[in-house]
Amino acid sequence: MDSLSIFIPLLPLSAAIILGIGQLFGWLNGEKTEPFTASLSLTALTLSTLLAISLLIAEQYGKTDGSYLAGTWFSSEVLTVSLNFITTGFALHTAVPCALLLLVSMLFSVTHLHREAGYHRFFFVFNLFSAAILLFLLSGNMLITFIGWQISGVCAYLIIAYAYDQPIAAFNATRVFMTNRLGDASFLLGIGLSYTWIGSINWSDLNQSIVDLALNEATTLALCFATAAFAKSAQLPFSPWLTRSMEGPTASSAAFFGAVFVHSGVFLTIALRSVFEQSAIAMTVLLVIGTLTALYGLIVGLTQTDIKSAIGFAIITQLGLIFMECGLGFWQLAAWHSVIHASIRAYQLLTAQGFIQQTQGITASLIPSRLAKIRWGYVASLQRFWLDPITDWTLVNPVLQLGKDLSYFDDHIVNAVMGAPAPAMNALATLAQLEEHQTGTPSDTEPDVFARGSGFAGKLAEGTSVILQWIEERLMLRGIHEDAILGGRHIGNIANRIEQLLLRPRYLALFVFITLLAVF
Amino acid sequence: MNEVGIPLLSCLIAWPLLSAMVLGFVHSRQLAKYLAIIVAAIELLLTLIVVYRFNPQNETLQLVEQYRWIELLNIHFEVGIDGISVWFLPCSALLILMLMLSAWNAVQYFRRLHFALLLALEGILMGVFCATDMILFFLFWELTLPAIFFLIGLWGIGPQRRGAALKYILFMLFGSVPLLFAIIMLAINHVTQVGGSIPQDLAFSFPVLLLTPVEDSLQPMIFLCLLLGFAVKAPLVPFHTWLPTVSMEAPTQMTALLIGLKLGLYGILRYAMTLAPSAAVQYSWVLGVFGAVTLIYGAFIALQQSNLRRLLAYASISHAGLVVIGITSLTMQGIQGALLQLLSFTLVTSSLVLIAGFIQNRLGSTDIVHLGGLAKVMPKLSVFYFLFTFASIGMPGGSSFPAEFLLMLGALTAHPSLGITALVGALMCAAYSLSFARRAFLGQIVHKGVAQLQDLRPREFALLCIPALLVLLLGFFPDVILESHRVTAEAWLSRLVNQPIFNVTE
Repeated sequence: MDSLSIFIPLLPLSAAIILGIGQLFGWLNGEKTEPFTASLSLTALTLSTLLAISLLIAEQYGKTDGSYLAGTWFSSEVLTVSLNFITTGFALHTAVPCALLLLVSMLFSVTHLHREAGYHRFFFVFNLFSAAILLFLLSGNMLITFIGWQISGVCAYLIIAYAYDQPIAAFNATRVFMTNRLGDASFLLGIGLSYTWIGSINWSDLNQSIVDLALNEATTLALCFATAAFAKSAQLPFSPWLTRSMEGPTASSAAFFGAVFVHSGVFLTIALRSVFEQSAIAMTVLLVIGTLTALYGLIVGLTQTDIKSAIGFAIITQLGLIFMECGLGFWQLAAWHSVIHASIRAYQLLTAQGFIQQTQGITASLIPSRLAKIRWGYVASLQRFWLDPITDWTLVNPVLQLGKDLSYFDDHIVNAVMGAPAPAMNALATLAQLEEHQTGTPSDTEPDVFARGSGFAGKLAEGTSVILQWIEERLMLRGIHEDAILGGRHIGNIANRIEQLLLRPRYLALFVFITLLAVF
Repeated sequence: MNEVGIPLLSCLIAWPLLSAMVLGFVHSRQLAKYLAIIVAAIELLLTLIVVYRFNPQNETLQLVEQYRWIELLNIHFEVGIDGISVWFLPCSALLILMLMLSAWNAVQYFRRLHFALLLALEGILMGVFCATDMILFFLFWELTLPAIFFLIGLWGIGPQRRGAALKYILFMLFGSVPLLFAIIMLAINHVTQVGGSIPQDLAFSFPVLLLTPVEDSLQPMIFLCLLLGFAVKAPLVPFHTWLPTVSMEAPTQMTALLIGLKLGLYGILRYAMTLAPSAAVQYSWVLGVFGAVTLIYGAFIALQQSNLRRLLAYASISHAGLVVIGITSLTMQGIQGALLQLLSFTLVTSSLVLIAGFIQNRLGSTDIVHLGGLAKVMPKLSVFYFLFTFASIGMPGGSSFPAEFLLMLGALTAHPSLGITALVGALMCAAYSLSFARRAFLGQIVHKGVAQLQDLRPREFALLCIPALLVLLLGFFPDVILESHRVTAEAWLSRLVNQPIFNVTE
């Protein structure tokens, strides 16, 4: 019975592979093949939903073992990455509603995306996403869970960039992917640390041996996974990505960013409750971030004027509340809350386009006048608390600037020091002549300058002679003259420039970072 | 060892070299092209036979052949393979075949010479990977230079191609000097250790040198010299400046080879770490820091690049840093990850460079200012581009994912800060790859020229399918590779970690 679990992610994956190959080779294209794509996807996902449900029923009757080991993926020394699945408890209980929600969204998209140019592409991504999420939920192994987590991030990228010829969609997709990638790095760090400290990357081993870990180690692990969850579930300071993600088609917004995708962070947190419970600090962090995010979503949501953004901030608020519940230790409540929330959001987003018609004539309830009078609050809400500019200012721009500085350094200093032979045409006259002879286009044939140094040693010799010549001519022959003053000024300018560069906050931050790494 | 008695590895080296000569006598250009492809395909088959005959459970050198060469100095023609080198053979053979296919119509003049040089280069590369005599290795190592020099200088696509070729040669020669110096030091050390005399007791054979203890006072010097020699080729910062130049000036197929095939890292792994083991262990952290600097430095600069080929060059420098971090972690995960990453890297990055070449052939540029909205007109090419890009940033499914995971794990267990640096590097990698993809492939078409571009031709499509399939297969079943070099890697590691301590306890 348990062995069925492997097919739950495998079926949508196979569908995705078939669709991918079909599109690459041009077999699936246009309206004629739409029914094939739709029926294949629906069959695969329906089957895996049914499998999940039957596993659930079997579990209720005690017919499952709770886990299934499909084999070893790869191993290196003591590290063994096995392909194992959890077929019981919270993982399975979440997988069933997830699969159902995915199925509903997929059914919706079959007609919603009819005659769209990217129809087949959408279903490819959707299948891949379903496979990734189900793999993520059911895997008993951190690395395989991470694979699901990561692939779902790639799918989010692809789906946000669905209308890829619109620059804004492409930009948002990249931005969302990068934000999620921060969380991924944190997840990966968590896996690495748990391997270092526990010697295993199975969830069950982590949950068992977490009690033996020192407090600071447990806290670090919990915080790593918490950061990953925050990034995925749009908690502060990662929240702004969620509204950017609404760029994709409606059905995808529902399935990805309303229902399933954003809740995977919550799922990770709840699945790791034993880890979080080891550390009061981690629980406090969950509570504080959750509360702040809920407030943030609430305040910013008040000033949103389009339906998708409004729902986006409502999602952020609810997710914040769920994390708050986790932080308070109400795990059961958080689990129920997330499943119900996912269902409602899926419904809401799928019907969002008809929302205007449905609510015609109903005036929106106004906020209390006392609240409405806080002018700075209004500005902050409209500006979404400046989260995006702050990220740009503190992270994106310094990194880009650093890249620019290093690029300059590489081109003008490293390259110059290592030697760049300039007289290409001349030094390699024979090769040039051979080519000219062949192409019949005589180029400028200046006399060869073999005496000119090239490369490191050549430049060194050439440079030494130039310097000696300069010293001889300027200093020895003329004595200390106005040139010396000018030269001194020039050196002073360069020194000033270097100092100014070094005083920039990005370098300060870089040095602090390097120092931290060195100490660690 | 070789039951049938066929000198398989010698054939591997000699076959393309001889064919290259024969190619010069073929008069029809068209025929020469087809002949070259057939020769390269047979070579690929031969390398696969080598892989098939290779016994992964045996840690010693296999398929060994030894012939007399320079008796006076005790130099032999000695070849053999082990778990570290075995996969490089089919990998480079496949790469050369791909390069030939991609250069099918791109080469306009001296076609025969071009294909002959590529074949010769293939034979020389096989020699580099198979040679187990240090002088023979050095010979092949240096022989790559003239072949690459002419390939860059004659068929380069940039206006400075001859300068780039010269720059390449000078840099490589700069690295060769310390390399030769180290080899001589090792040979003389052997003489002193056995108490013999020069030249009768000189030893250049790699297995013999491995068994010869090296004096502690000599070790750092030898390690440094070997490292310097290989770091230039790898390339590690600050010896990397030849790669961006060459990537802009060389024909794209050569760029693919130079960026994809990491001979320098192979050298570090195979020779620099093992021949001076105690120094390697002692200074592994220094090398690790070098790797980390290279990783971050390359990534930062890649972020600023507007040209795809230059970006890929810096990305490759950055990835080289990651592999170095893995090697210096001195853990099984690190070394296995490094080996897997080297193979995966060849497939992924070379394919990306070839894609850049396809764009270059059509548009005459790979610079961002001339691109934009490519996905609309070239959907197939874009699919491959995104596939390889996602593979190169270590997304699951691609072959780099298990490799980078192992590298990161190895680094994290050995030096946590290097592990965190590796993670930062992975983040940066996603940033520069995707930001370029966004500007070049997504968005609206801004230039008229782009709107008229032709998508992949069937030949190009088929060409890209092979690495794509391999990348996915390795991503799903990395154990095939990991298992085949496990025993060798264990021996490699135990040699470094459990080395007997010479001259210290006395």
